[in-house]
Amino acid sequence: MTTHDDRSLDLLLVAHFRPAVAPADLASGVLTRARSDAARARDLMRRLHVEATPHGIARVDLGKGAPGTSGSNASARRLADQGWEELRQYFEGRRTFFDVPVDLDATPEFQRRVLTTAVTIPYGEARTYSWVADHAGNPRAVRAAGTALGRNPVPFIVPCHRVLRTGGGLGGYYFGLPMKEWLLDLERHTPILEGSATTRIVCRLGCSASPRIRPENRVVFAAVEDARSVGYRPCRVCRPGRTTGVA
Amino acid sequence: MTEFSDRALMRRVAAGEEPAFTTLVDRYGPRLFVVARRLLGSPADAEDAVQRTLLRCLTGARSYRPAWAVSTWLYRILTNVCIDQMRRRGPAEAWRRSASRDGAAPDGRQAGGGGRRSRAIARIDAADRIHRRLDLDRALARVPREARLLLALRYADGLSYSELARARGISINTVKSQLARGKSILRAALEGE
Repeated sequence: MTTHDDRSLDLLLVAHFRPAVAPADLASGVLTRARSDAARARDLMRRLHVEATPHGIARVDLGKGAPGTSGSNASARRLADQGWEELRQYFEGRRTFFDVPVDLDATPEFQRRVLTTAVTIPYGEARTYSWVADHAGNPRAVRAAGTALGRNPVPFIVPCHRVLRTGGGLGGYYFGLPMKEWLLDLERHTPILEGSATTRIVCRLGCSASPRIRPENRVVFAAVEDARSVGYRPCRVCRPGRTTGVA
Repeated sequence: MTEFSDRALMRRVAAGEEPAFTTLVDRYGPRLFVVARRLLGSPADAEDAVQRTLLRCLTGARSYRPAWAVSTWLYRILTNVCIDQMRRRGPAEAWRRSASRDGAAPDGRQAGGGGRRSRAIARIDAADRIHRRLDLDRALARVPREARLLLALRYADGLSYSELARARGISINTVKSQLARGKSILRAALEGE
């Protein structure tokens, strides 16, 4: 057993953290990635259509009909615009939950239960088709749950992409598996909690109460307790730590 | 080639000059990489985190303010990326992964000079180094995330208390207390096992 006075611990730590050889093609890799990420987000927004009723978002689609928003009256159009903006932030990795309501009145009862179950899957996580069937109240209807998810009228907002096959297979996706993979990857690499170094308040990413935090003040946290331990307090509006990441 | 100061380099990166970005990456890549490597455990995860950091540096270069040292600004981005990745993986797994990797490929492999005796000594040295490193990895895994992150920045690049405070958006007193707490946990873990 050794003793570790300050100096020997310092030396041990310095040796532990000495610079390592960085991968050779780091810069070119980053430049390529920057181009493809920007192209992907631009492409999505060029194809996105959001349709709302006065009660909420009723339809989200990519690539069919003209891109943009639509609604039957002024309040429906306002909701559609809000949905569009929240989706843009979501695709750009600036939002992890949706405030905008959805209107599932036109969907059959079982499908509605499946979709409201899917909404409870937290951002960045995944569940299986059988988990969804079970929580929608019909454990034997695994295939029907899959079909209901496949006909999700409000993809992304109702996160049917977070449902996978038992054993980890991707399953299916209306917009194709590369898109499903891209969304799961996006969520894996988007933080869920961010604080402001000036206000020392920690919010869920996308909180409407926090004015846009300037990049130089943005601090990411792994957990609300971590933030508290270094002098941050949780936001009273989005209440991080009390919810599961669901709007 | 002219040596640009860090801030001049950032101006060029913000103006979209790719060679300036490459120079910046050459300058900071190794330091960013070791911090990410030690925090995340696996080289692949570390490379990914550093790539994401540099990507944000590139796309956010225009929001860079010269009042910040470039290194502090980069460490802010890097720690934002790493801390979120640490959320997904328990500390136990991080050290287990790094332990199995180090065990499979000891880095003292080429240390031997000529002769059987020096090779034997080199082997013992290497084994001792690996043993100590594993101990430290394991001990570091016990340090809470925020303190572990500050220790990494402090020892990888000698950041001052005020630079650490700025990089993490916390007060200098919090930096001091977190570092002290982290080191006392480390000491207890290294001596107590």
